[in-house]
Amino acid sequence: MSPRSSRRRTLRIIYAIFLLTLLWAPAAAPQAIPYERPVEAAPQDEDIGEGYVTPEVQRPLPRSYWLEILDVILLALAMAIAVWIVLSERSRKWVLALTIACLAYFGFYREGCVCPIGSIQNVAVALTDAEYSIPIVVIAMFFLPLLVAIFFGRAFCGGVCPLGAIQELVVLKPVRVPRRLDSALGLLKYVYLGLAIWFALQPAPGHDFVICRFDPFVGFFRQTGFAHMLYIGGAFLVLGMFVGRPYCRYLCPYGGLLAWCSRLAGRGVTITPDKELDCGLCSESCPYGAIEEMRAVRKDCLYCARCFDSCPRGRPLQEAPDE
Amino acid sequence: MSGKITRRDAILKGTVLAGFAATGVHLIKKADGQIVWEIDGAKCINSKLGELTAEACDLCTVECVVTQSAVRAVNHHSECGRCYICPAYFKVTSAVDENGLPSEKLCPRDAIERKAIGWVDPEDPANNFYDYIIDEEKCDGCGKCVMECKEPAGLGSIRLEVRHNLCVGCNRCAISTVCPNDALSQLPATAVPEPEPAESESQT
Repeated sequence: MSPRSSRRRTLRIIYAIFLLTLLWAPAAAPQAIPYERPVEAAPQDEDIGEGYVTPEVQRPLPRSYWLEILDVILLALAMAIAVWIVLSERSRKWVLALTIACLAYFGFYREGCVCPIGSIQNVAVALTDAEYSIPIVVIAMFFLPLLVAIFFGRAFCGGVCPLGAIQELVVLKPVRVPRRLDSALGLLKYVYLGLAIWFALQPAPGHDFVICRFDPFVGFFRQTGFAHMLYIGGAFLVLGMFVGRPYCRYLCPYGGLLAWCSRLAGRGVTITPDKELDCGLCSESCPYGAIEEMRAVRKDCLYCARCFDSCPRGRPLQEAPDE
Repeated sequence: MSGKITRRDAILKGTVLAGFAATGVHLIKKADGQIVWEIDGAKCINSKLGELTAEACDLCTVECVVTQSAVRAVNHHSECGRCYICPAYFKVTSAVDENGLPSEKLCPRDAIERKAIGWVDPEDPANNFYDYIIDEEKCDGCGKCVMECKEPAGLGSIRLEVRHNLCVGCNRCAISTVCPNDALSQLPATAVPEPEPAESESQT
């Protein structure tokens, strides 16, 4: 007698007893079947017989690692292109095209993740918690824009960041925020940065990634999200029509880091007024109040190249004598 | 201020760059290639043994930012008891129909398919083995079947799992922030067991 049939026989006996019990207790039967597990162990292919093959449990793989590396390469490439377009070509048109492309890729296609803004929190936790795993991609995402900022200013903000891009596209009739109010509000981003790091470093129950939680635009990128965040995002976009890129200038914690790094930048957007022409059209055209006394302020300049576009002299002026 | 770098700036710049390099190297030393969100089956209320509540926890379904949650119930067939009356398939409290089986199904989305397998004796359905295949497209990870398929009625072969092809990998997984048993964590993708061995997985 094969082990299979003997096993089947035991099962049959167990079942017979089981069914008898059912008959014995008719009161319980109508509402609930007194359920007993008929098998003690999971039957394998040989128990089931007839050439049965257990279906394989699929483990769908995450996005390919190489595609994640590609994100980093694209980030670096987009920043390089932004620097080239703005500093060398001085072209508003092309930087706008770049920012739209990055909005499409990093925003809508990659759904806003992974982003350098949120990576602040991962880096903060990784630095303090030895157990925490941080992928190389996140480290690269965190450092690359900062490195670019140290040498060339906030190319990431103007060329690549999808959160910046979505606000860039809604700028309609920007008002000039009074200088004092502007710098006072600008301090908020450092407060936010501090809070974000503080929350990220909290132990389990209080631990929170507030930057990601209160990302105002990720809901648009994913076309789903918490209603209150979608409203806040919408409010930012409406405000952004009249106050240029409010999130970037006053709240973005990564913008705070970039602003600080870009103070050290040797190169960046420069306005070179000459003696004959001192029209100030560039200053008028800047929706971010980043041109002060005819000089572009590195820490505030968001690489949009509007000033070049508005300059009546256009490109030839870039070779103006450097006193 | 016209773009000229002062000596002080140069020193500061050097210091910052050195700081970046040091931090970067420190981080890269402990870095992982890729991380994914995983549910710890031993912690998840629905699959945790000895945890019996009236209602299955459906936070994975409700909270996930993906429209149809990236968490799905997965039946590990090699651990499945292949019961005649599967408590995860049938609503065992429903009225008995003419075939002696519960008349209602448990899954609200009718995502589980039941079919007799192997050598089928049509006269003796109770002694046949049954495959319970979960249709991934229909499942939204509500956990009802997971809650039922465990001791004493089931063997615990159905568990909630993050489907990595659907998970967008939020930095702050919305489910992880509300999970009552803190069952979700980000693990290096290399720590995720390979498809085949189901035994080692049930241990962890």
